[in-house]
Amino acid sequence: MNNDNENRAEVFVYRLIFSRQGPAIWLGHLDMMRTFERALRRAAIPLSWSQGYNPRPQMVFALPISVGLAAEADLIDVSCAEKVDESDFLKRINDKLPEGLAVSSCNLINPGRSSLMSLVSEAVYRLEANDICVAAKHVLEGNQPLITEKTRKGKTSELDIRALLLDWKCIDANSLDIRVKAGSSSNLRPDLMLKLLTEQGGLGNLAAADAMITRMELIISEE
Amino acid sequence: MNTVDLPRHLLRQVSKPARYVGGEWNSVYKNVPEASDEAVRPFVRFAFCFPDIYEIGMSNLALRILYDRLNKRDDTWCERVFYPGTDMVDRMRELDIPLFALESKSPINDFDLIGFTLQYEMCYTTVLDMLALGGVPQFTSERGESDPFVIAGGPVVYNIEPMSDFFDIVLIGEGEELLPDLVDCYQEWKLSGAPREQFLLSAAAIEGVYVPSLYNVTYNQDGTIAAVIPAKAGVPAKVRKRIELDLDQTSFPTDSIVPNMEIVHDRIFLELFRGCTRGCRFCQAGMIYRPVRERSADKLLEQAKEMEASTGYDEIGMLSLSTSDYSQLGCLTDSLLEEMTPNHTSLSLPSLRLDSFNLGLMEKASRTRKGGLTFAPEAGSQRLRDVINKNIKEEDLLSAMKLAFAGGWSGAKLYFMLGLPTETIEDVEGIALLTEKIEEIYRSLPREQRPRKLELTVSTAFFIPKPFTPFQWVPQMSQEKLREHQRHLRNLIKSRSVKYQWHEFSTSWIEAVLARGDRRLGKVLHRVWQQGGRLEAWDEHFVLDRWLTALEENDLSLDFYTARERSYEEILPWDHIDCCVDKEFLWQEYQRALTGELTPACHEACMACGANCFGGGICYEQR
Repeated sequence: MNNDNENRAEVFVYRLIFSRQGPAIWLGHLDMMRTFERALRRAAIPLSWSQGYNPRPQMVFALPISVGLAAEADLIDVSCAEKVDESDFLKRINDKLPEGLAVSSCNLINPGRSSLMSLVSEAVYRLEANDICVAAKHVLEGNQPLITEKTRKGKTSELDIRALLLDWKCIDANSLDIRVKAGSSSNLRPDLMLKLLTEQGGLGNLAAADAMITRMELIISEE
Repeated sequence: MNTVDLPRHLLRQVSKPARYVGGEWNSVYKNVPEASDEAVRPFVRFAFCFPDIYEIGMSNLALRILYDRLNKRDDTWCERVFYPGTDMVDRMRELDIPLFALESKSPINDFDLIGFTLQYEMCYTTVLDMLALGGVPQFTSERGESDPFVIAGGPVVYNIEPMSDFFDIVLIGEGEELLPDLVDCYQEWKLSGAPREQFLLSAAAIEGVYVPSLYNVTYNQDGTIAAVIPAKAGVPAKVRKRIELDLDQTSFPTDSIVPNMEIVHDRIFLELFRGCTRGCRFCQAGMIYRPVRERSADKLLEQAKEMEASTGYDEIGMLSLSTSDYSQLGCLTDSLLEEMTPNHTSLSLPSLRLDSFNLGLMEKASRTRKGGLTFAPEAGSQRLRDVINKNIKEEDLLSAMKLAFAGGWSGAKLYFMLGLPTETIEDVEGIALLTEKIEEIYRSLPREQRPRKLELTVSTAFFIPKPFTPFQWVPQMSQEKLREHQRHLRNLIKSRSVKYQWHEFSTSWIEAVLARGDRRLGKVLHRVWQQGGRLEAWDEHFVLDRWLTALEENDLSLDFYTARERSYEEILPWDHIDCCVDKEFLWQEYQRALTGELTPACHEACMACGANCFGGGICYEQR
């Protein structure tokens, strides 16, 4: 085991903060991984590759993002085989990303023991829809449970959104920010909040279906 | 510029919305100049349409080549249009959203030129639905001064007669030669302010351009063609195809679009050569793309490097009709592998003839795991393989399998056709016998050399007689006999190591009608579209009854197109198109087929097919 570790080449991990909007919001998670990988290759970033039969570049997204959602500041860790100047990295990758994707910061980090994915604990979403705040105030004020049904793999179960909702704030009449639990252990999908607000707060169905949803921030707990 | 709005609720409802939003890396966006700025050279908007969904269309090399070629011009903007998924089409109709181009989101009826690439006959009703969805009148006769011109190109247009009511202009041959001339001609016409017909007349004077409405077709009592005559002076009696002679000089898209979502062929395309030297008698591509023209290994290596840098793809695929016939395959493979290994780029080698040399190449290329082996013997007996001029001997095939098994492969896919001319039940039995012999070889290996179970796949497709092949005169085998042959084969393949896959017969039947059809089928196609026909290349969207009813309503018989032996004297619907392979040569090949006489490949001996008329290619190389 020891020997193995000594032989393994040094790896430099860069944490990127990126946004997605425009046409890029319609990509699925696998599309995002492919798209980033190809952009990194075009940018000639010296990626570090996994071992094994089918080596892949080592990239970790903090939290997959659903099709149709925009993001302001999502995170991705990219492992490199060589040290790269951070501002150079930032420029090169931004020159090679397709429309709608942009990296706003790039920092060399000390890789911890846990992967970025397991550190995500909360997320802030902005929901923009006609008169969403009237609905939010009506439904969310107070401490009562917020029960809605969620369907997963064909099975329907009841869910109390209150337990996953950490905070909420009306930005204006048509814009609502929610801070929710996120990550692999407990996670609230923002579309369930829209569902709740249509069911219990009188938010229009079309307004909900057309809502602009943006993940504003991902909060990661320090190791 | 008009554009459509795609509301979020719509894109959230349909599957794979990434198909509809554009914005991919290397996609081209341009500013459309104001009309007043274009007094000198009108700006041309070209909608390149592929009549199938995004994943299929984006995998097509012609689209990528022509998109690049047209967009290299400052005075032209070429955009892409695909057929949306059926869920999206239905919603677009409900919401009154016209078919649009991915880049600008403009409805297709806003364009100057709408060009379709036609890769298979079964896309015809999809073309009609795309025009309807885009608000473009379907019939050429219904289009007015403000409507776009609708153009077709691709392999299928060598007999475009069934679709001739719907296309204003048809390009015979290679688009990178033809399209720039057509765009120039369009600009001159637009500046002149002349009426619509004038553009069609000027276009018809360009070599390789076929304007179906400028030809009158008359029929005999029995339904065969009496004559095809140009309707106006200056319209050529025969339209000869145009090709690129020097592939090293032609433009090739090194800044190729990188889709954000996964497509069918998601890799860099490296086009080794055009044409095929082999001359298999059933194969249309082997005839219409003559003469063989190679791209040099140096050029290909240079393109591979450029494309790798500009796309970020991690796989390179070689493209040609028969990769192993590329004269510099060994040195190209070696230099590609050397170049790519540090970047973790892999190489895929399709359509290789199996011999020890190629197995060695495949071994080198399979960096990680063994890819699948495919063979296409096409027919089960030596007699029938001689008839179709598929120059594979059984002993070669078996020794190749032996080599492959020794090299660690434990399976293969075998492709055959059913219903080939002169096919008997013994020929069909030959397919089963061949698989048994392959199994026997595997079983005879020592135990330690076969750690895995043998997995053979036998796949059969029905033979469809195509124009411009030696079999353009033959009847298609009757449905009953075909079914019998297929059933027999299914019963013969009993081994658990062999999987048998086959295609539905009914699609092949209609494909056969369209492949050798005439202009009278236009009404049938329109009727099938009216009844809901679209995406019929997909089995799940194909409905045979729609076709049978439409044929009957128009007093046309299926047997006339499929079951009839044509005579040498008969005027075939495509005789006024010249692909530079002489009809006499094709007939001679047909006669040689009937006696089982083999014809050598172009690189072995020249049989004077006529393709030397271009003054280049393999016809003028030393043998």
